[in-house]
Amino acid sequence: MPEQISPEQLKALQEKIKQMSPEELKEFQKKQCIFCQIVAGKIQSRKVYEDEKTLAILDINPANPGHVLLLTKEHYSIMPQLPDDEVSHVFMVAKALSNAMLRGIEVQGTNIIVANGIAAGQRAQHFMAHVIPRKEKDGVDFILPQKPMEQQEIESIGNRLIAALGGAVEKEDEQAAQAPMPKKGEPKGKGINLDDISKLLGAK
Amino acid sequence: MAKNTCIICQIIGNSIPSKKIYEDELVLAVLDVNGANPGHCFVMPKNHYPIIEQVPDMEIGKLFQVSNKISSAIFEALGAQGTNIFVANGIPAGQTVAHFMINVIPRKENDEINLQWQPKQLSEEEMSTVELKLKEHTKNIGYFEKEEKKPRIHAAKPAALSEEEEEYFTRQMRRLP
Repeated sequence: MPEQISPEQLKALQEKIKQMSPEELKEFQKKQCIFCQIVAGKIQSRKVYEDEKTLAILDINPANPGHVLLLTKEHYSIMPQLPDDEVSHVFMVAKALSNAMLRGIEVQGTNIIVANGIAAGQRAQHFMAHVIPRKEKDGVDFILPQKPMEQQEIESIGNRLIAALGGAVEKEDEQAAQAPMPKKGEPKGKGINLDDISKLLGAK
Repeated sequence: MAKNTCIICQIIGNSIPSKKIYEDELVLAVLDVNGANPGHCFVMPKNHYPIIEQVPDMEIGKLFQVSNKISSAIFEALGAQGTNIFVANGIPAGQTVAHFMINVIPRKENDEINLQWQPKQLSEEEMSTVELKLKEHTKNIGYFEKEEKKPRIHAAKPAALSEEEEEYFTRQMRRLP
């Protein structure tokens, strides 16, 4: 069966991947990843925003019209792989995209969703944040059940998380504070029009 | 004052008890004791901002960095198969409290959570229209408020909203069905 990879070939491939330098591995992943090809312009997309670190495109299978996929240009499989400065940057852009939706396409809300892992609904091997415009009765029905926790469980789970965090947040904070911020476009006014937004939110 | 009636501000001010996971000058993360899965956390700014558009960029960066660390901790400490970062902005999006927050949710197979959607079919023309409208409003993205180099404690000033505006806003948010 010449088309099937034999266990030996698979092993050889795995060995090859193992021995790749980080740069080679990145190149290899990029070739396999459809979103890297979109970023490189090899696959067409409808771009709504782009800067040196991120690309925002319209989802071709949208939850609602205007549903945007915000991609890092760099290939990361899941969000925990992103350096702090990129996390900051991506979500500043996500906020700005949400703002653009509220103002530009007459919606009354937005969701920002990241899925890490297949169990969380992740389908592509490339980190992305979904920014989804929302309206009343738009047919999008996210379900977050409520599962009450016992006091004992609260303590044990809480303490395990605290231990795992282990102050890492504080430590890397300094580094993030030094991260260069992008310079592009004109400064916007700092204030937002509260009337617009409360009107949208109070539309019910 | 809108702040005094906000349940999240009361959690931050310790008048409502909570299981705190992480805290610094600007951010508090607590366990949701009635969450979608055990280990579900809320990450919120200590300053009172009803919706994401009001949160300064610098604080957005910080809040999502903390969320990402918690997401990693959930993988590591709870052996989750996945995590979701979820934000609901505005009532139609499922926002129920007038204080911006980020949900970090541990996931496993068949856990009854649904964050999927049925894709809507749009014509090429509809896609082009929405693309142009969005582009019109994304032109000015790119200038982000730089982080302050001063100690954070000085950055944690009250939100730049008057109490009157806040109260009006909160009343709007409270008009739930």
